[in-house]
Amino acid sequence: MSDQTTIKARSPFAEAFEMFRRNHAAVAGLIVLLLIVGVAIFGPLIYPGNPFDMVWAPFTPPGQDGYLLGTDYLGRDILSLLIHGAKVSLTVGLAAAFVTVTIGITVGALAGFYRGWVEEVLMRFTEFFQVLPTLLFSMVIVALFGASLTMITIAIGLVSWPAVARITRAEFLRIRELEYVTAARAGGVRNGGLIFRVILPNALPPIIVQAALMVGSAILFEAGLSFLGLTDPNVPSWGQIIGSNREYILDASYTVTVPGVAIFITVLAISLVGDGLNDALNPKLRQR
Amino acid sequence: MTTFLKALARSVAAAALLVGAAHADEPVKGGTLITTLPQTPRHLNPAVQSGIVTGAPGAQLFAAPLRYDEDWTPQPYLAESWAWSDDGLSMTLNLVKDARFHDGEPITSEDVAFSVETIKANHPFKTMFGVVDSVETPDEHTAVLKLSQPHPALLLAMSSQLMPIIPKHIYGDGQDPKSHPRNGQDVVGSGPFKFVEFTPDQQVILERNDDFFIEGRPYLDRIVYRIIKDAAARSIGMENGELHMTTFENTVRNIKRMSENDSITVTDEGYAAIGPINWLAFNTGQDGPLADKRVRQAIAYAVDKEFILNAIMLGLSQDAKTGIHPGSPLYYEGVNGYDLDLDKANALLDEAGYPKDANGTRFALTIDHGNPTTKPQAEFTKASLAKVGIDVTVNSFVDFPTWASKISNHDFDMTWDTVFNWGDPVIGVHRTYDSQNIKEGVIWSNTQQYTNPKIDELMNAAGQEIDPEKRAALYREFQEILAEDLPVYWTNTLPYHTVYSNKVRNPPLGIWASSSPYDLVYLKEE
Repeated sequence: MSDQTTIKARSPFAEAFEMFRRNHAAVAGLIVLLLIVGVAIFGPLIYPGNPFDMVWAPFTPPGQDGYLLGTDYLGRDILSLLIHGAKVSLTVGLAAAFVTVTIGITVGALAGFYRGWVEEVLMRFTEFFQVLPTLLFSMVIVALFGASLTMITIAIGLVSWPAVARITRAEFLRIRELEYVTAARAGGVRNGGLIFRVILPNALPPIIVQAALMVGSAILFEAGLSFLGLTDPNVPSWGQIIGSNREYILDASYTVTVPGVAIFITVLAISLVGDGLNDALNPKLRQR
Repeated sequence: MTTFLKALARSVAAAALLVGAAHADEPVKGGTLITTLPQTPRHLNPAVQSGIVTGAPGAQLFAAPLRYDEDWTPQPYLAESWAWSDDGLSMTLNLVKDARFHDGEPITSEDVAFSVETIKANHPFKTMFGVVDSVETPDEHTAVLKLSQPHPALLLAMSSQLMPIIPKHIYGDGQDPKSHPRNGQDVVGSGPFKFVEFTPDQQVILERNDDFFIEGRPYLDRIVYRIIKDAAARSIGMENGELHMTTFENTVRNIKRMSENDSITVTDEGYAAIGPINWLAFNTGQDGPLADKRVRQAIAYAVDKEFILNAIMLGLSQDAKTGIHPGSPLYYEGVNGYDLDLDKANALLDEAGYPKDANGTRFALTIDHGNPTTKPQAEFTKASLAKVGIDVTVNSFVDFPTWASKISNHDFDMTWDTVFNWGDPVIGVHRTYDSQNIKEGVIWSNTQQYTNPKIDELMNAAGQEIDPEKRAALYREFQEILAEDLPVYWTNTLPYHTVYSNKVRNPPLGIWASSSPYDLVYLKEE
């Protein structure tokens, strides 16, 4: 009983942190994710060199001749590719999530706030994007504008934003009717202020969760495109390692499984963190 | 006496064995050969369509004046005999007397004349029959090709892939031969097999022509070409016995795997005339480093050909040092092969006036690749040239039309490409180096924008030289100069392989591979 009173006395942030902390899976996910981020930032310093250098005989199996994860079909060190690729893949994930959130919030907020014909138009527009086959659509974008990493990232963002838009709209529809919004409006706050300073901060929690999950699915999406051959061969992302070695999957499966496992662990960690955030930020689940 | 009888008995037994052995090699009649095409052909008439997927069924449907064995020796086919005039300006063909088209109409010299005119007007390879002024038909079985200049390439052009004899009474009805409705359906030809069915993306079915002009042939009842685009699916089909034979296999991993199967034979014999060569092409016509031949040579020295041959091609393709296929009698292997030499490469780049900057970089280039199979080479080039200070950006392959339009409009630095010889150099080699053939928008023209008057002169002379020795000497000089100028860096032959089950006898291993008639092919259980 006393416990509950202490929690109640805390700020919402502390409360959410406490919820998150109690979720062991989410904490484990966060630790793994921090490790991966650490590798992305400091790995290239500890394990320097150009990952595209052909350092040893092609298809040296993992562990042989001092190559912990072996070499790929051109004799490039897979460990080096993996370490340098961590930064690239995480950046792709974050950047794609950023594109998603930016478009999604803009569309969702305008639709949810103004309602009427604005909502009609924007939500039909959103539905149009929602029913497009995402893989096919992104392949078309990449095929049209070239398979550079920037273009791939933008393509992933372009196909993923409708979910964010719908969540944002739903939150806006709910919050705009609440009393404090009416109060702010009565107090003379203009529309822009209402959207960005009054409603958006209160609508953020589910969007944050969605954005976190988006980082993971963008990394996965990039790998999927790479496997289909749509990859930027000039940047060592994890997807690129898979893409350039996929022909050899039957003969030297480790060249594909090693980056595949890295992607799997990262996406799993992000999902766990995202789930934890969802539980922690959702007030309905707090008293569980 | 007994010993004599015993000896007699032994020799009779031996003779019987011999007869038995001979009997075992007797061709078996009947059966259906199931083979493959890697893409859907546009249609089945090679007279107006180039390419191997039209050529393969086309060579069964249509006969040609000549056929070739594995030694580049012309053999009689629809022409019983043939002869050059002394001045080399006319070629007389004496046709087989009782040959008939699939609809029963006789094959005459009129049809030969019509075929040549149709091919000359419609086939993309203009150099094949460009110098044929007219075809005279003194009688039903004699056709005389009149030339404006001597043209030794004509002999190879008279093969099934390039000169199918098509019926005038069908294709001469005034419709555009390129889009003639009988090109893909209800095809009437002159070859060993008749048309049954062509279903795009699925299959082409041909059946035995009982009235074929070579008595007793063909042996097979039917040929089914399954259209299977995926190389892995084709190799699985071979391994589980669903397919008897597949041709033009070039994914080395699949070839390697199939070669480990005891009931399958894998061979690279039979592709010398088609002559596919992989090369790294340089845009020599734009301002910048690649206009300097020393830079091009340096790149060749820095890209390790041994690695391409052994690590990327797994030893399944041949070293190609020039633009002429190594299987051709005109190939000259004495040219500089640009074996890996980084010191030389660095020295040449310094000499050309491109010193390394503070970061060790000299200049930047881009590289394209003409199909997904050359992606390893493109990535390898990037890694190799980084070692001598050239910063290469690899452009991802998107689709063929995008690549072709980029290259043919000269909007590139370097690209990996695969180009075919098509028999004689006049047909498939000259186009890459001819200064008159720099044509914007035309892929596989002289997209490198290479010009050298001496090379033009040599090609012109060699194209008209009838004496084989003198011709070889001209092409030798041609190859030497090109290897020095290096508008493209030739690395290897495409690892085309024919893969066949041990049941298949007389597989097509002559120089035209699957684009040669299958009248001798038969199936036999082991």
